[in-house]
Amino acid sequence: MSNKVAIIAANGGLFDAYKVFNIATAAAASDKEVQIFFTFEGLNLIHKQAMHNLEMPEGKEHFAEGFEKANIPSIPELVEMAQELGVTFIACQMTMDVMGLTKEDFVDGIEVGGAVTFLEFSKDAAPTLTF
Amino acid sequence: MIQANQYLDAKGLACPMPIVKTKKAMNDLEEGHVLEVQATDKGSIADLAAWSSSVGHQYLGTVEEADVLYHYIRKGTNEPEVEKTFEHTIPLDEIQSQEGLILDVREAAEYSFGHIEGAISIPLGELDSRMTELDKEKEVYVICRTGKRSDLAAQLLAKNGFKKVYNVLPGMTEWDGKIEKEI
Repeated sequence: MSNKVAIIAANGGLFDAYKVFNIATAAAASDKEVQIFFTFEGLNLIHKQAMHNLEMPEGKEHFAEGFEKANIPSIPELVEMAQELGVTFIACQMTMDVMGLTKEDFVDGIEVGGAVTFLEFSKDAAPTLTF
Repeated sequence: MIQANQYLDAKGLACPMPIVKTKKAMNDLEEGHVLEVQATDKGSIADLAAWSSSVGHQYLGTVEEADVLYHYIRKGTNEPEVEKTFEHTIPLDEIQSQEGLILDVREAAEYSFGHIEGAISIPLGELDSRMTELDKEKEVYVICRTGKRSDLAAQLLAKNGFKKVYNVLPGMTEWDGKIEKEI
């Protein structure tokens, strides 16, 4: 049985962020080795400023109340928790170049890599998930 | 009231927090001890059971009381397979036809979620101080989950002058007769 979970985060909305970090923290808490590859809009999820203001899908803003009521942790909290549990964050170098971002724009402790870095990790991971 | 060794308050927290908190609490728990997780997240029933089996802990069960879920998990037994050394053993399917006492040495919470009718509970860790509650002259059939703890308990009783002690094998994992619950 594989002990690895590989996740591609390619979208940058609030809902996308919850899908990514909930699965990642749950997997890490289950003693899995977890790596997330952040690419394109997915980079928002670990961007120092952007991660505080992720948007809800248009027309779904009314869910904000539900999030509060259900006492859902914030994305920065989940990011910190994921890192504390040993989840590895990889930011996609190519997308960073396109967007003019550097490693310093992101939360501490991330790695920067290309597609091959992720492919190498995910070759024997089960499951591999894309959000 | 089910007895646990440690308690974790995860009330009001949403997924995945109950799992994350449980994982952390488990790190500080002694092997073989029982953690009570108090949660209000309904998803935690399925999640904690699945999580326990995936990381090698023993999920005992859940009790709901006044909208709070009380989950009981016993810290996993990654302990190496030890050879059982107590020489007097008895197969599980023969104990009900015997006279004498069935002594269940699992943790109190394990006993609460299902034990053989009439069995009495003294967890292995308490046996040393509580064996005076038992009659040394009578037959004692010691049982646990898989026969490991009962092996140690049987040795302890024999060393303390109990004359007719038997380790019941394999243990509650294979018991398919009637069970009593204290929940």
